[in-house]
Amino acid sequence: MTRKIRLTVNGTARTVEIPMYRTLLDCLRNDLGLTGSKEGCGVGVCGACTVLLDGKMISSCIALAVSADGHEVTTVEGLVGDERLHPVQQAFIDAGGFQCGICTPGQVVSAKALLDAIPNPSDVEIRDWMLGNLCRCTGYYKIIESIQTAAQRSRA
Amino acid sequence: MNAFEYAAPRTLDEALAVLREHGDEARVIAGGTALVTMMRQRLVRPSYLVSLREVSGLARIEAANGDVRIGALVNHREVETSPLVRERFPVLAETFRRVASVRIRNMATVGGALAHADPNQDPPVTLIALGARVEIRGPAGAREVPVEDFFRDYYESALEPGEVVTGVVVPRRPAASGAAFVKFLPRTADDYATVAVAATVSLQPDGERCREARIALGSVGVTPLRARAAEALLAGQPFGADLLRHAGESIKNAVDPLSDHRGSAAYKREMASVIAGRALTQAWEAARAAARETR
Amino acid sequence: MTFTQECAIPVERERLWDFLMDVPSVAKCVPGVEEVETVDAKAYRGNLRVQVGPIRLALHGTMTVDEQDRAAWRARMRAEANDGRVGGGIRARMSLTLAPGDGGTRLRIDTDLTILGRIGEFGQPVIKKKADALLEEFARNLGSRLQQGG
Repeated sequence: MTRKIRLTVNGTARTVEIPMYRTLLDCLRNDLGLTGSKEGCGVGVCGACTVLLDGKMISSCIALAVSADGHEVTTVEGLVGDERLHPVQQAFIDAGGFQCGICTPGQVVSAKALLDAIPNPSDVEIRDWMLGNLCRCTGYYKIIESIQTAAQRSRA
Repeated sequence: MNAFEYAAPRTLDEALAVLREHGDEARVIAGGTALVTMMRQRLVRPSYLVSLREVSGLARIEAANGDVRIGALVNHREVETSPLVRERFPVLAETFRRVASVRIRNMATVGGALAHADPNQDPPVTLIALGARVEIRGPAGAREVPVEDFFRDYYESALEPGEVVTGVVVPRRPAASGAAFVKFLPRTADDYATVAVAATVSLQPDGERCREARIALGSVGVTPLRARAAEALLAGQPFGADLLRHAGESIKNAVDPLSDHRGSAAYKREMASVIAGRALTQAWEAARAAARETR
Repeated sequence: MTFTQECAIPVERERLWDFLMDVPSVAKCVPGVEEVETVDAKAYRGNLRVQVGPIRLALHGTMTVDEQDRAAWRARMRAEANDGRVGGGIRARMSLTLAPGDGGTRLRIDTDLTILGRIGEFGQPVIKKKADALLEEFARNLGSRLQQGG
């Protein structure tokens, strides 16, 4: 029971034949070679697998790949443009928003979605939005600072 | 997960036909947050999944004769941010906002959450307090069930085989009324409440005494509960600490909580009464303010 | 987990005891039991279907009667069953006591239940509630079966 699905991943049309039970995360990582998104908890809670589906954040570990058929997916790999890091990625580096890095792809994708929706977020808005992205290393302060830095820079 | 077939029909009739054809072996999937998680844990193993995501007409939020109708495929985030819901039923938008995180709210649907029938969820509690009704469609046609009658047991709804939730209707509120939702979440190991209470209070023309109160509780049993005995104590009465205490005692008898990592049954029973008091106080205050405004 | 359950059966103690010791007949009164096979004088094999919402368990296993003491109106049994699909199983030790009660007999069951594997994810309170619901229906079935003159 496999199906051929057509989806746009990071702006490029991709066709892939997958079994029905393939999660979107496994499809991205194993079938499409995009290993940036990580599996942390496997139940949609930790946020390490966050990707954007039609611009909205979802947990790809509990999304079926077939449900993305005909839709657009943005992963962390899609943030880079013209050989330059996305402003959010650059801000995370400059402000020290990661240590081990395992949660970082999810953090960065979520942060990008936040700034797309709310270009000038308050502290409360940042915390509310990013609440579903867990981090064991940083204690979260530097992540918030990174997002504030990215927001300030895009206003400048 | 087990192997399964997957269909994403474009009309509700098609979806119902597929469900009828595969009977017991088929399950409906919408956002998939609950179902895929259970399938990954091998707790359920359907051989056929019918997705409602491409069915047109199930994802609208619309006003209908003063009521608000929310389609089954509307996700939690859409309810939270809907201008119509925020204007007519701010307590409902606020309740949906309290669920999990933005990311989960993007995926989880209103209909899916109802059909999942987890007594620890937040939205059903407020929907019961608001007197909302579930719209259902199945082989025998369409029917409506009040949300308070929609839950039979732990993870069991009133859906018969082959039926799906198509929406939920929230009826208009009287002018001199107020509502509140209080989620008691002392620990955040997960996001489910230790106890949650939603209360609505509408006032008599004197703007002080209760005309009708509705009190609903979550995480206090195998289904969300409506505390009718406590409600009856409040009808016709002016607000007062003694009255609330009385109602709180009644609530302790009405609930049958399960002990788990969010609290022991005894603790939840105690907190049900305390949190109900807070929700009622907030709702009554809001009702009084609304009554003063409409003078 | 250990728990105690009680129910009233509208049949006098002697007759209830005799019926309870006929395990295959008693098994037919347990909701969800589909087959029972006698292995020997004290041991039986069978299955039990239980549902928690969308989650269906199909337990297959054995039950052994360890002690029958008619003078003391007490019996002890052991059960072991596994669920092949969900993954997990139960191990139970049960002690049944019969006492005279209003209109018949009070049946008391003390259970020491161990849950293995996935089934344990439900948590004790849900399992206890399911056990209570099972016992209630069992008592009803038992009552009507015996009143039919079984």
